[in-house]
Amino acid sequence: MKGFLDFFNEVGKLKGMPRRGWVIREIKNPESIAEHTFRVALMAWLLADKKKTKMNIEKLIKMALIHDLCEVYAGDTTPYDSILPKDKKKRREIMKTWPRFSKIEREKLTKDKFNKEKKALIQIIEKLPIELKKEIKSLWLDYEKGLSREGRFFKQADRMESFLQATEYWHKYKKPMQKPIWLWARELFDEPLILELIEEINEKFYKGSLLKE
Amino acid sequence: MEKKIYYLTEEGFKGIKKEKKVLENLRASKINGEVPKIWESEDLNPDYISFQEDMDFLESRLSEIENILKNVKMIKAPAKGSEELIDLGATVLLEIDEKDQDELMIVGTLEANPSLGKISNESPVGKSLIGHRTGDKVVVSSPVKTVYKIKKIRYQV
Repeated sequence: MKGFLDFFNEVGKLKGMPRRGWVIREIKNPESIAEHTFRVALMAWLLADKKKTKMNIEKLIKMALIHDLCEVYAGDTTPYDSILPKDKKKRREIMKTWPRFSKIEREKLTKDKFNKEKKALIQIIEKLPIELKKEIKSLWLDYEKGLSREGRFFKQADRMESFLQATEYWHKYKKPMQKPIWLWARELFDEPLILELIEEINEKFYKGSLLKE
Repeated sequence: MEKKIYYLTEEGFKGIKKEKKVLENLRASKINGEVPKIWESEDLNPDYISFQEDMDFLESRLSEIENILKNVKMIKAPAKGSEELIDLGATVLLEIDEKDQDELMIVGTLEANPSLGKISNESPVGKSLIGHRTGDKVVVSSPVKTVYKIKKIRYQV
């Protein structure tokens, strides 16, 4: 049981780790990584249940539970990290739009993030029994690389949860800036159910009208 | 299994075929109790180690690949006269809101990875760009308005 207890102690840290994407956008008392995990697990389950083509719900929920475990050691990264100045004014300026990179920069950032997180995942599950280690590694790789329908669907649900959270924060604090968030969303999401949910968000929070920031 | 058409670029198709071969070799080696020769290959993706450790994962990925290959549609070079229009497989240089520039490739959902500059033909921006030509301005709005000006279109296929 010692291995389990050590693992539970370590993953418990996610309850107190604020998500970096909100910290850099100066959101007060931002949600923790564990709080994000809670809602994305529910979203993945309930949305998958609504899909006409059957998906493995158990796999989706497990994927949700483990997808950010690596962040205990790797930390939470954002696309802005490599270009973020310390000066708050300059930061706000940069975050008015979605960051754009060259092909080489993109490949490097993606590869570095993946390697760092993979190493951290292996470290955090180290003391678990071998069969569980295998399962968690496979689920994480599936999510990261979109190797199955569940992996691809979950990746979109994961981003959707962040998108919804951004909208809720905006409604409450008028932060974060909506322009880059919507720009990102319109290039990223292609799963029909998620797109339907986005239109619902548009109606509920913006009444379908044009927003000026 | 889902009956969906998977659009793949030549590169994506080759990648899937190669992965299938590697996984079949891994499976055969595992069954025979051998150390797979594939590990000696220089271009081996180290992530395949998870497949070697976890046979269920390997089998499910192989079945996924078979489903993809059954429903694949190759992204072909555009017909003569259509090279000026954006379609699947096009790499498009864009000016966004008269400030930023970006180069995005339009691919099928399977290869889409916006972090790498590949966007899905089923995403709102991908859908809106298709059918347009250099010089066109494409507006994606509600609730925030974004103007994509098409600067250049090229095809690798």
